[in-house]
Amino acid sequence: MCGIAGIFFKKSETGGALGRSLVNMLDGCQHRGLDSTGFALYENGFKGLRLRFIIDEDAEAAVARIKTVLAEQGAKLLSEKREGASLVVEVEYDGEIRPFAYAMEHAAKLVSIGSSLDIIKDVGTARDLDRIYGVGAISGSHGVGHVRLATESEVKPEAAHPFWATGFSDVAIVHNGQITNYWKMRRRLEARGFEFRTDNDSELIAVYLADKLAQGETLELALEQSVDDLDGVFSFLVSTKEGIGFAKDRLAAKPMVMFEDDDLVAIASEEVSLNRLFPGQPLTTAEPAPGTFRTWSR
Amino acid sequence: MVTLDLAQISVRDANEAMRAAAARGENIELLNPDARHHLGVGLVAPVKVTIRGSAGYFCAGLSHGARFEIESNVGWGVGDSLYDGSIVVGGNASAIAGVALRGGEIVVKGNIGSRAGQVMKAGTLLCCGNASFLAGYMMYGGRIVILGDSGERVGEDMSAGAIYVGGKVQSLGSDARLAEMTPEEDADIHAFLRKYGVAFDGVFQKIVNAGNKLRYGVNEPVSRPLPYTVAEGGTYWNAKVAEDIHAKALIGRYRLRGYGAAKAVPHFNDIALRLDPARIRAASDALASVNLKTKIGDRNGAKPLELSMPVLIAPMSYGALSKSTKIALARASKLAGIVENTGEGGMLPEQRAEAGQLIYQCLSGRLGWNIHDMLRADALEIYISQGAKPGLGGQLMAKKVTAQLAAVRGIPEGIDLRSPSRHPDIMGADDLVIKVEEFREATAYSKPISIKMGAGRVRDDIKIAYKDGFDFVQLDGLQGSTGAASTEVLENVGIPTLAALQEALDGLREIDAGTDMPIVLMGGIKDGVDAVKALALGASAVAMGTAALIAGGCISCMQCHVGNCVVGIATQDPEHEARYEIELQAKAIARFLESVRWQIATLTKALGHSDFRQLSRADLVALTPEAAAITGLPYEPDYHPEAEELLTEVA
Ligand SMILES: Cc1cc2nc3c(=O)[nH]c(=O)nc-3n(C[C@H](O)[C@H](O)[C@H](O)COP(=O)(O)O)c2cc1C
Repeated sequence: MCGIAGIFFKKSETGGALGRSLVNMLDGCQHRGLDSTGFALYENGFKGLRLRFIIDEDAEAAVARIKTVLAEQGAKLLSEKREGASLVVEVEYDGEIRPFAYAMEHAAKLVSIGSSLDIIKDVGTARDLDRIYGVGAISGSHGVGHVRLATESEVKPEAAHPFWATGFSDVAIVHNGQITNYWKMRRRLEARGFEFRTDNDSELIAVYLADKLAQGETLELALEQSVDDLDGVFSFLVSTKEGIGFAKDRLAAKPMVMFEDDDLVAIASEEVSLNRLFPGQPLTTAEPAPGTFRTWSR
Repeated sequence: MVTLDLAQISVRDANEAMRAAAARGENIELLNPDARHHLGVGLVAPVKVTIRGSAGYFCAGLSHGARFEIESNVGWGVGDSLYDGSIVVGGNASAIAGVALRGGEIVVKGNIGSRAGQVMKAGTLLCCGNASFLAGYMMYGGRIVILGDSGERVGEDMSAGAIYVGGKVQSLGSDARLAEMTPEEDADIHAFLRKYGVAFDGVFQKIVNAGNKLRYGVNEPVSRPLPYTVAEGGTYWNAKVAEDIHAKALIGRYRLRGYGAAKAVPHFNDIALRLDPARIRAASDALASVNLKTKIGDRNGAKPLELSMPVLIAPMSYGALSKSTKIALARASKLAGIVENTGEGGMLPEQRAEAGQLIYQCLSGRLGWNIHDMLRADALEIYISQGAKPGLGGQLMAKKVTAQLAAVRGIPEGIDLRSPSRHPDIMGADDLVIKVEEFREATAYSKPISIKMGAGRVRDDIKIAYKDGFDFVQLDGLQGSTGAASTEVLENVGIPTLAALQEALDGLREIDAGTDMPIVLMGGIKDGVDAVKALALGASAVAMGTAALIAGGCISCMQCHVGNCVVGIATQDPEHEARYEIELQAKAIARFLESVRWQIATLTKALGHSDFRQLSRADLVALTPEAAAITGLPYEPDYHPEAEELLTEVA
């Protein structure tokens, strides 16, 4: 029960406005969910891999645990920073991502791992997160974002979107809707060795896509199959290192509208978010047809 | 002309300024709309409104008489419940364009999204481009004209009206068929197109209701009803079971009936008041000394409802009930200083005049829903579901859909009427918040807005109600009554009233909501004793449906759905209704309400309090393990529930 937004700059040099654009788009549809907000931002210039953790109770112990496990996993710590409710570290690591990710998840609440992806999420509004995390100043090539009204699972930073496709660096999703075959799909994925951190049905989409990608499928094929495999009402955005995509269920009960020109592609739950990018300018927009998907990449 | 710049002022201020300008007869221009929601909502005046750009959800919704021109696109629900007037959209319209259209004209120059014209009743919706799927879904009347192609399942479950498609029809909806078009119809459409300067030289296909699905076929046998308590008799193959099987062998489908669940589930009888019997005698002057007055509905600054005691009349429709009954309920509620509720199917002028305070209920079919009655109401209520049939829509047999009733609801006379199971524009908590905001904008934030919910996933639903900003919740349990529902659902779907209240309280506690959002509990509340127990558990007030009907002459035959109610309550037949004596029954209902007041006051005082708000769980014990498990009250089976006997004694 939420609002979603995504933006893809076709020419990377225009990407200076990434954080600002997403903050404005989410602020435009904040009425769809005031509980929490989140961003998946694709930036350039990480030193190695960036990992972000949510640190709530007993911060010192958590940070110590993270450092121990990083060392155990053979990841060399390059930098660390406390920011809002999170800890950001950059490491040098060139092993397999999934076992590394699971080991880190057991150590603390891991939000993302990426060579260009950083997920910033917390309780509060887009404006709150901008203030605390400086989201508006972040530049990059593309990203997705989400405002959440919690219905079934709890209001905590880690239950906010975006969800990272655990085990796959640089893949994230944001979702508006409800997956009704959640438990069936989850058990299937668990049987294949995937782990779930929350009961949030949106996490399932991330893990589902991770599974498809792990099997060597293209993102397009994974999205196409998701329309058949997932039951319920949904509109979701996925982002990878290369670009963004969407998928929409056949009932089209959850809104999605998009705008595209020579410079960028912007997708959001409501046109009001798109208009935030172009104040005072009526836009030629389109609504994706029910049961469809699409991707944009560099 | 007045020019308003939305880059400078909020939508709320803009709408207020528009109302003021319109009152002076001035035309309005809106700059920098940037797809904001609720522009022009609730505007009632014959002025011209030009929107220079795109508008968001519900543009020009709930308006009457104005001429709107939107230069670019509109979001969901353009012209929602438009009463009359015109709306011209230069670009595309998103989903449910013209939802619940009650009259007037909407012209979209571009394409329209899915479910255009859902539950519309009259007027014209023209789409010059292509329409997405399910155009005309469950429409009750009026016409939709699509010059381009129409998507899948056009005309799905429409009851009346017509859809004209100039391009390709991808597929027909269930119970829709192609029909011949008369030359007059064709000429009329072309005249309409000319009026809006739209050229078209193709040929139309006309789509109407096929009439196969929305009819009940074989009627249920009107058997001598067996009292509902028989269902719980000691034997397994009892008379009631046999009667049910016989009836189904004849009709071959589910059965319908009215009244509440006949199942014994844990209820207020399983809870006792921790009362010192000696005190009750001393409490006989309680009416004078105990405070029962309360207000609900001002959580967001609206003018609250004022109650002389924490009791409301449950929402019951004009349709299920006769007009005379609605008038009697309204009159009784005024005599008692409490609140009446329209239920589904619109507001009767007589009911408005007789009720002191009236809640106006909005259901999925938007039957009779309109801006004028919203402005006349004291509070607005969004119905999501009710305890008797959570998740289902409503049914009203053709026999009850009389000319007068059809006029109030804005639908054709004599159709077997079904209202949808969900709102066209509420698919989740995120849409709901936009809907609530629409109603607030339309009524200048002056009315409390409540939500009626049946007991399903109460713990989650109550959190949504809280976050979406409702002023109070009307919560209904499994035992709640209905005018018509399938027996299977009546008896088996939902959770008991006690459990519903407990889950609601737990849910609110989980999100630290405090007592900000009052809960009005209903579903099998029989008297003031039940009311006191509900209040002590944590409800802020209770509502009564069945008890009020019985007080006003209902004989509990459970055949409300048939329409032949011999006492003139659940009927639209003038002959039956003639037997209902409004003044007599209004007084009887009012006297019953006085007994409820007396019981609440006396018990409150006997429990040692001077205000009903001091009642608490400490005043209660559970008499059965089930009731204890549900409520968390201490299980004290040996506690004798003497209160009720004592009360009758004192009376
Ligand atoms: C004849 C009849 C018509 C009803 N119509 C409506 C209605 O239009 N809207 C609604 O929310 N509930 C409706 N209800 C349900 C009541 O509002 C209420 O939930 C229920 O009757 C409460 O239980 P009680 O009858 O045991 O007091 C109706 C009930 C009856 C008996």
